[in-house]
Amino acid sequence: MFEYMDFNIAPWGHEIVIYFFLIGAAAMTFVYAAAPAVFGNLFNGAAQSMVPFQKAGMIVALALLLICGPLLIMDLGQPSRFLYPIIYFHWTSPLSWGSLFLPLFGLCIIGFFVGLIKENQRLMRWNGILGSLLALSMPLYTGLDLMVHQSRELWSNPTIPVLFVILSISSGTAVTAVIQLARGQLDEKMVEFLHLFLYVALAVTLALFLAEWVVLNYGSGEKQMAWEVINKNFSFQYWVLTFLVGILVPLVLVATPKLGRNPKILTLAAVLGAVGAFSFREVLIYAGQLPMLYY
Amino acid sequence: MPVGLQNPPSLGVPGKKRWAMVIDLRRCIGCMACVCADKAEYDVPLGVWRTIVKVRNTGKFPNTKRHFMPRLCNHCDNPPCVRNCPTEATYKHEDGFVLQRYERCIACRTCIAACPYNARHVLPRNRDRVKIGGVVDKCTFCNHRVEKGLVPACVQTCLGRSRIFGDLNDPDSEVSRLVARHSVVTLKPEKGTAPQVYYIKPDRVNTEQIFSQPKSYATKSDAAAFYRHNRGSKFFSGVL
Repeated sequence: MFEYMDFNIAPWGHEIVIYFFLIGAAAMTFVYAAAPAVFGNLFNGAAQSMVPFQKAGMIVALALLLICGPLLIMDLGQPSRFLYPIIYFHWTSPLSWGSLFLPLFGLCIIGFFVGLIKENQRLMRWNGILGSLLALSMPLYTGLDLMVHQSRELWSNPTIPVLFVILSISSGTAVTAVIQLARGQLDEKMVEFLHLFLYVALAVTLALFLAEWVVLNYGSGEKQMAWEVINKNFSFQYWVLTFLVGILVPLVLVATPKLGRNPKILTLAAVLGAVGAFSFREVLIYAGQLPMLYY
Repeated sequence: MPVGLQNPPSLGVPGKKRWAMVIDLRRCIGCMACVCADKAEYDVPLGVWRTIVKVRNTGKFPNTKRHFMPRLCNHCDNPPCVRNCPTEATYKHEDGFVLQRYERCIACRTCIAACPYNARHVLPRNRDRVKIGGVVDKCTFCNHRVEKGLVPACVQTCLGRSRIFGDLNDPDSEVSRLVARHSVVTLKPEKGTAPQVYYIKPDRVNTEQIFSQPKSYATKSDAAAFYRHNRGSKFFSGVL
C-alpha cells in the first residue's frame, strides 16, 4: 500500500533523443558542406569533391538547426526563459555551453551561406573553420551533458561524447548521401570521400559498442543493472536496431570492396547507420535513467 | 575541491553552519506524518513528493520485517544538481542548504537527472492556490523555518522523534552527538556527493541500489494511470 510513493519520473524523454540525433546530423552535414572551403587542396584535394553539396548542405544544416532549436525550447518547462542559460551562464554546466554554441553555430551557417552566394572565399573559410569547430562541439556537448552525471553510471563514461561525435558522422553521412543521390550528384569522388568517413565511423561505433558491452558486464552493480535494463526493456532497439541494422549490416556493406562504393549501397548503408545512431542514443538516454529510478 | 558551487562545503568549517538531519530508523514507525506535514507546508501537488517514506518487506512468514526509510533531499556538500544547473537556479547556501530559485529555473530537468537520490520533481504548470509551477522543486530543509529558529516541518511533526535536525558544526548539537556516537550511514557515499542526511541503522534493502518496479496490482494501476494522465505533458515522455 505504500509503494505508490516510489515512482519517479525519467526526466528526459523522446524530445531529447530526437534533438541529440538531429543536432548531430546538422553538425556533420555542415562539416561535409564546408569541407572544400576549410581543407582546400589538403589531402590531395579530397574535400573538393563536396563542392556540389555546399549550397544544399548549408540549407539542410540550417533547416535541421531550425527544427532542433524550437524542439529544445519547447522541451523546457519554461520555454520563454530559453535565453537564461546564456544570461545566467554557469561554466560547469555543459548545457550552458551548448546553449551558447548553438546560436553561434547557426550564425556560422548563415555566414558561410552568405560567403557562398557572394563567392567570398575568405568569409567561407573563416565561417567554415569556426563553424566546423562549433559543429564538432554540438554532439560533443550532448555527450558531455550525459557524461557529467556521476549518479548515472551508464552515462558517466568518457567514451560517451566520443561515441556521440562518431554517431553524428553516420547520421550526417546519411543526410548528405540521400540528398546527393536524390539530386543525381553522388559521383565517384564524393562516394569515395563519404565511404571513408562512414567506414571509419561504423568501425569505431562497433568498437565502442563492444567496449560498452564489456564495461557493463564487468562493471559495478549499477552498470550490471543497466545491462539488465537494456536487455529487458530495450532489447529490440539495442540488439536489432543498433547492433544488427545500425552497425553490423552497414559495416559489412561498406567493407565489401566493390559493393561499398556503389552510390546506392553506400546511401543504404549510411541510412542504416543513421538508424543505429538514433537507436543507440535512445537506448543510452532511456536506459541510463532507469536503473536508479526506483532507488 | 568541488567546482561549480556558489558556496564551498561548510562541513567542519569554523564559524559556519552546516545544517544536517539524522534519521534514527529504530524510531520510525512509518506513520507518514512527515510526508503529510511536508505536503501541507508547501501545498505539494498530487503525484510528487518532497519527502517520502519507502517501505520494504523482507523475509518470509513468520520471519518477516517491515522496514521504513524516510527519504528527502540530502543537501549534499558537493551537490551534482548545483554543478549541472545551466542557469544557477539551483544553488548552494553558505549554511549548507541546497535551494531553488524558481524565477530562474527553466525546467530543463538536468538537476533531476543529476540527483542520485530522486529528490527532485517538476511542479505542474497550473496549480490552484500556489502560483509557482512549471519549474523543478525539491526539499529545502525548510530554510524559511530554520532561519527563524524553528526546525523543519517534517522534524516538528515526527511522532517518534526519528528525524533530528541541527548544526553539525556545533559539537554540542543533538545531530553532532548522534553522528559522533552512533554508526551512521549516508546514501550512496561512493558518488562523492557528501550527503548530509545521516541514517542510524538502515537496512540493506533500503540503502543498496536495486531495480524493482512497483509490484502490487494497485500500485501498478496507479502508476499506469499517473503516467497516462501525464503523457501529454512534456515532463513525462512515456519512457516507462
